[in-house]
Amino acid sequence: MGDVMRTIQQPSLAALVGQTAFMPDSDISESICLEIEGLSKSFGTFVALNSIDLTINEGEFVCFLGPSGCGKTTLLRAIAGLEPQSSGRIVQMGKEISHLPPQHRDFGIVFQSYALFPNLTLADNIAYGLRNQRHTRKAIQARVQELMSLIGLEGSEKKYPAQLSGGQQQRVALARALATEPGLLLLDEPLSALDAQVRVHLRQQIKALQKTLGVTTVMVTHDQEEALTMADRIVVMNHGVIEQVGTPEEVYRHPKSAFVAQFVGNMNFLSAEVCSPTAVMIGAQRYTTQPHALENKRPVHLAIRPEEVVLTSSGQAESQLEARVIHIEYLGAFLRLTCDVTSADIQLRVDIQHADAVQHQIQLGKDVHLALPAASCRVFRQDGN
Amino acid sequence: MTTLTTARMTGLFGFNQEAWIKLGLMLLALALMLIGLVFPLYTLLLKSVQNSAGEFIGLANYRHYFSTPSLVNSIANSFFIAIMTMCLVVVLAFFCAYGITRTCMPGKKVFKVLTLLPILAPSLLPAISLVYIFGNQGYLKGLLGGESVYGPIGIVIGMCFWIFPHALMILVTALSNSDARLYEAARSLKTPAWRTFLTVTLPGIRYGLMSCAFVVFTLAITDFGVPKIIGGQYNLLATDIYKQVVGQQNFQMGAVVSMILLLPAVLTFIADRWVQRKQTSQLSARAVPYQPSPSPVRDWVFAVLCFSVAGIILLMIGTAVYASLIQFWPYNLTYTLRHYQFDGLGGSGWESWFNSLKMASGVAVIGTLVIFTVAWMVEKTKEFSLLRQWVHLFAILPMAVPGMVLGLAYIFFFNHPNNPLNILYGTLAILILNTLVHFYTVCHLTSMTALKQLDPEFEAVGASLKVPFWRTYLRVTLPTSLPAVLDISVYLFVNAMTTVSAVIFLYGPDTRLASVAVLHLDEAGYFASAAAMSVLILLTSIVVKILHAMCTHLILKRSQIWRQR
Repeated sequence: MGDVMRTIQQPSLAALVGQTAFMPDSDISESICLEIEGLSKSFGTFVALNSIDLTINEGEFVCFLGPSGCGKTTLLRAIAGLEPQSSGRIVQMGKEISHLPPQHRDFGIVFQSYALFPNLTLADNIAYGLRNQRHTRKAIQARVQELMSLIGLEGSEKKYPAQLSGGQQQRVALARALATEPGLLLLDEPLSALDAQVRVHLRQQIKALQKTLGVTTVMVTHDQEEALTMADRIVVMNHGVIEQVGTPEEVYRHPKSAFVAQFVGNMNFLSAEVCSPTAVMIGAQRYTTQPHALENKRPVHLAIRPEEVVLTSSGQAESQLEARVIHIEYLGAFLRLTCDVTSADIQLRVDIQHADAVQHQIQLGKDVHLALPAASCRVFRQDGN
Repeated sequence: MTTLTTARMTGLFGFNQEAWIKLGLMLLALALMLIGLVFPLYTLLLKSVQNSAGEFIGLANYRHYFSTPSLVNSIANSFFIAIMTMCLVVVLAFFCAYGITRTCMPGKKVFKVLTLLPILAPSLLPAISLVYIFGNQGYLKGLLGGESVYGPIGIVIGMCFWIFPHALMILVTALSNSDARLYEAARSLKTPAWRTFLTVTLPGIRYGLMSCAFVVFTLAITDFGVPKIIGGQYNLLATDIYKQVVGQQNFQMGAVVSMILLLPAVLTFIADRWVQRKQTSQLSARAVPYQPSPSPVRDWVFAVLCFSVAGIILLMIGTAVYASLIQFWPYNLTYTLRHYQFDGLGGSGWESWFNSLKMASGVAVIGTLVIFTVAWMVEKTKEFSLLRQWVHLFAILPMAVPGMVLGLAYIFFFNHPNNPLNILYGTLAILILNTLVHFYTVCHLTSMTALKQLDPEFEAVGASLKVPFWRTYLRVTLPTSLPAVLDISVYLFVNAMTTVSAVIFLYGPDTRLASVAVLHLDEAGYFASAAAMSVLILLTSIVVKILHAMCTHLILKRSQIWRQR
């Protein structure tokens, strides 16, 4: 890994982003970096993690995504050994580390607060872990230089953290964590303390850096956009359990539960009743859906994303609804309509492009026809599973 | 991957070596607290239910105590003095704190410096001055209208003098913590000033006021120096302990009085802890500090009030200085330095000053190191949570123990022939240990506050980079907390210099301290020499305080680059 790092000549990471950030993950080797088995953690009576099983491959970028209090940070801290689990096993590179203290595990970590040492210069911060490995002074200096240029801050070695912007501090924290070439990089909400623009920029940089170095990375975030754009695989968590593990596309297109469906992206939920393995009834009308395994007569939710609802001109397609526009929200690139369905007591949110809005003469009170394509209609049980 | 192999090696051969070191340090801290606080207090409790032969006699000593009117009277006396002092000091300190924080009165800085002076002097100094001012030959004797200063009047004035700065600091903090946005809201709602005061100002500082009252009460009820010098025949609990032990050699009764004095101190301590907890939860990080706007009449009223207080402080200190510099009050008023030579006064002279200096330096250096490190263990380690809680509890406890009680407890514990630690008895070491424990709490809390302001993940980062925890402590935690560390050391030094209550029982023939010397000189009738010694202590504290201010200034200047927010 270190060799890969040394071959990088470009001082700026931005240049790397275009080539690497969104390439398919063909180069990920299948050897396992981290195995988590039956990991549980409770604080008193509160169960923070409930029997988590997870495997992370070498070189992978995995995001733990979920609302606050879902246990994602607890899981990260358990992997680091900072908050030991109540039960369960963690195996890293074939070696059991369940009961090792943090200093005997192999990882680098970046915190939300960065935790840069305020009284040390950037160079001393980055060299902090190196000094302990009995490297020569010269080797340490070279390594610091290399990392400083890798994060685009060469020449600032003598500065102190307080003299940097938030984004720069973040990059120094990253360099410090990577300095000792750890086998695993842990990022605990690394971007959430930054401005929106810096955040978007930095998330490309981090992703590019991770690709280049090939370091296995686990990032905790509550920001779905961050997870969708950065992760090779997303682990969606809620109430201490894993709801779904999958690629960003799988999680977004094929959510396994109503929770995932509504937490990642926007989703309309319509109360319905199962009438066949590929259809549900809303009121008296039948809608064809994706195949499902729920028994007849069971009350369910039909779920469809606002951008998947199709605006049609007038009654030709099946699964069609008559509705009236009752609210228009202007969201910049597109419009979000709230439509009152005439035949039933339900409302649908529909995202449409400006061109469609012009074509269909969308305005408040306008009567529209909506189609729900069967391929986009997912069915979830009403009890939340 | 060299790191991985080294990690594996240490994992095999020295499994969690750091945890063992932490455990060792924590047990050392616990041992210090057991030996320095818990065991002595337990021995004291035992003594109070034993007769002079050491046999258990139940509550007989207590029955004897409560059936002796001259002893029981002290309880009422002590409460009377403490409550009087509390009322006076809190009201006075409130007005002065209000002047500092909420008005644009001139000379705020000068006033703040002047109000610090009483803390730097032993509590014996105001009592000595009072004798010169209101005593039988005092120059303002007429003001008392025939009343004697030797008694409650003198005690209350003396206590007000040296407790005032403590109260002022608490109230200044409470008043500065108020949120300007609340006042803006009140003004925009057209609230009259008196109503703003009642609905915004007072509720905002009510916990500060309560805490202030508790602190003043505790200091007043436990103080020994003032009533010893100027109390006359007016008995208080603190002086009773001294009389029983030193005067009558009645150790059992001394223990009983100690237990009785311990009770109000512990109760106010508990109430204060409860109030403090409320207070911290009330503050919000987004509060905007209040900036007073000028109002000539109000500003000058407060200026006159504050500088009258400052004037009284200067009068008291000035009197002591003057008394130490003249031949013989009131008959020979020519200046002389001979009282500073302490001729023929044996161990009560310069030798005692050097002892005090040694002791105070020892407490400052050792105490700061020990207290800050223990606070850091308590705050920043994750392991051994039960042990940490106990250490924390024992660290907060000393505040509830009056100095006289602690001193007597040390006699019982360390002077016991079967205790191997009794070699410490009469040495400088026991004085250092005693003083360290006596003033432990404030330093511990200051350390905890400073440590809580640091990023909670420093230790985690250090561990993830495989840096041993002590290196992160020495390279990051200690340097970033240096101002707080210096504050602690100077607090310990000044208190060690000025304290008299606990050490009065513990000094040996070679380790007599300056503050104890003041007491002895006064007892022996060398009033001018006693004044000279108190002034010497005051000057020493002032010099150290100035050095501290310069050090802090230099450090802050040097670290300005990284300390900016």
